[in-house]
Amino acid sequence: MSRSAAHLVVFACNWDGLTCIEAAAQAGLSYPASVRVVRVSCLSRVHQGLILKAFELGAAGVMLLGCKPGNCQFDVDARYIAGEYEKARMLLRLLGLGEERLVLCHMARSDGSGFVKQVATFAQEIEQMQPAVPARA
Amino acid sequence: MFDIEREISDTKIRLCLDCGKCTVVCPIAQHDSEFNPRLIVQRRLTQNSSNPQDETIWECLSCYMCVERCNYRVKFPEFIHGLRAEALAEGAQLQCTRGGALQALQHLMAREELQQDRLNWLPQDIELTEQYDTIFFVGCAPYFDIVFSDLEVNTLKGVEGALRLLNRVQVPFNILANERCCGRDLLLQGDREGFLALARVNMEEFERRGVKKIITNCPECHYTFKADYAKLPGGTAIEVAHLTEVIAPLLQSGELSLGELEKRATYHDPCTLGRCSRIFDEPRHILAAVAGLDVVEMEQSREKALCCGASPWVYCGAVNREVQEQRLAQAEAVGADILVTSCPKCQIHLRCCQKSGDGTVPRVEIQDLAYLAARSLDSGGEAID
Repeated sequence: MSRSAAHLVVFACNWDGLTCIEAAAQAGLSYPASVRVVRVSCLSRVHQGLILKAFELGAAGVMLLGCKPGNCQFDVDARYIAGEYEKARMLLRLLGLGEERLVLCHMARSDGSGFVKQVATFAQEIEQMQPAVPARA
Repeated sequence: MFDIEREISDTKIRLCLDCGKCTVVCPIAQHDSEFNPRLIVQRRLTQNSSNPQDETIWECLSCYMCVERCNYRVKFPEFIHGLRAEALAEGAQLQCTRGGALQALQHLMAREELQQDRLNWLPQDIELTEQYDTIFFVGCAPYFDIVFSDLEVNTLKGVEGALRLLNRVQVPFNILANERCCGRDLLLQGDREGFLALARVNMEEFERRGVKKIITNCPECHYTFKADYAKLPGGTAIEVAHLTEVIAPLLQSGELSLGELEKRATYHDPCTLGRCSRIFDEPRHILAAVAGLDVVEMEQSREKALCCGASPWVYCGAVNREVQEQRLAQAEAVGADILVTSCPKCQIHLRCCQKSGDGTVPRVEIQDLAYLAARSLDSGGEAID
């Protein structure tokens, strides 16, 4: 991937989400350099404001990476993030940026190859879309 | 560049007599003894560079109650907006409500190349003109209804009501598919750059489409176009009217008649529509035209109306909640079934107070004026619900 590729922000939950990224790193798997990981204590910490802020700062896509249902460290599972995810998707649609720029993934602990596959596919999809922020002259 | 001397002369702050009347009427000062409009001015004017930032500047509601009472009409809220701009330039961090979602939306909307998809809610039977001579400016209602969906607000119903009223009286209008936020909240919170960016894209679009007149339902958009856009180059060319200014005369001349609603209602003057734009009578004329509607006035109304406790989506805390509870209690005290307002933000803030309160907060129904008027329209099938 070229260096100028638009950034993808991954909000990774500190528990299962982050272990997937660490597992990928330990296994020497590579994923697009445009990915920026933001570690959060739980996906329920992420709300529409943070997601939109990432886009405001120039992200072309945002991935929310959390635990499989039933695995949440704090027992809140998708209770909070599901609503915020839905709101953010509707707002992205209104803005005309496209709701596809936001994805929610629940992954099993330490699934490095699974993460790499998901994030690479996402990066490819974003690349094929119109740029969210046109390159500045 | 922030220029304190210019702020002082623009806001006439040196005319302050130190009389303290502003503090007496300030809704925030009544609940928070730390907050004192007069002393904020004094502290800033005697400040040397080593003084820490005045934290209380973020509490001001921009309700203009102080200006109303001031003998010299010192523009205290605008001085505060200046101080906020100064604080932001010095690196102050905003305490945004809703996690900064509204600020992010406003900044995203300022992108020139943005092609929004914001008219999906528009009912098919609303008649629009081909031309853009007169436009109805929808405002942020489509965004509000998503951001605040947990409060079960429906600000788009007010917009829909406004469109139906305009259709009924055959006032021709069109809607811009790609309008942006007017930027008022950014202006109030001191983000002048963000405001100018939004104003620029909006004004370019108005010019491109040949807009000559703007009708709004949101008092904030109305005042911003009228007062703040007018200060920008080329900003005075467009006529701006609030929906109530269009509808009320037609009711009085008999060209429009509203239906019936057997309820008791009270009108909450939005600060921006009332004290800023001086529109007090038109909304009341509309309510008076609804047959069967018993309209009562709250303890504080018209020029003295209490604010909904809003902030430009920054710094909302216990003091704001107390102001909101006070306002809802005033509505309950006069036995109102419905608190009518014409501002989507008032609706959101009062609703938030009801939703997140401890159950003792008055449950008076909150409705948009245009929605209520359109709902009462009597010809079968056209009334919305």
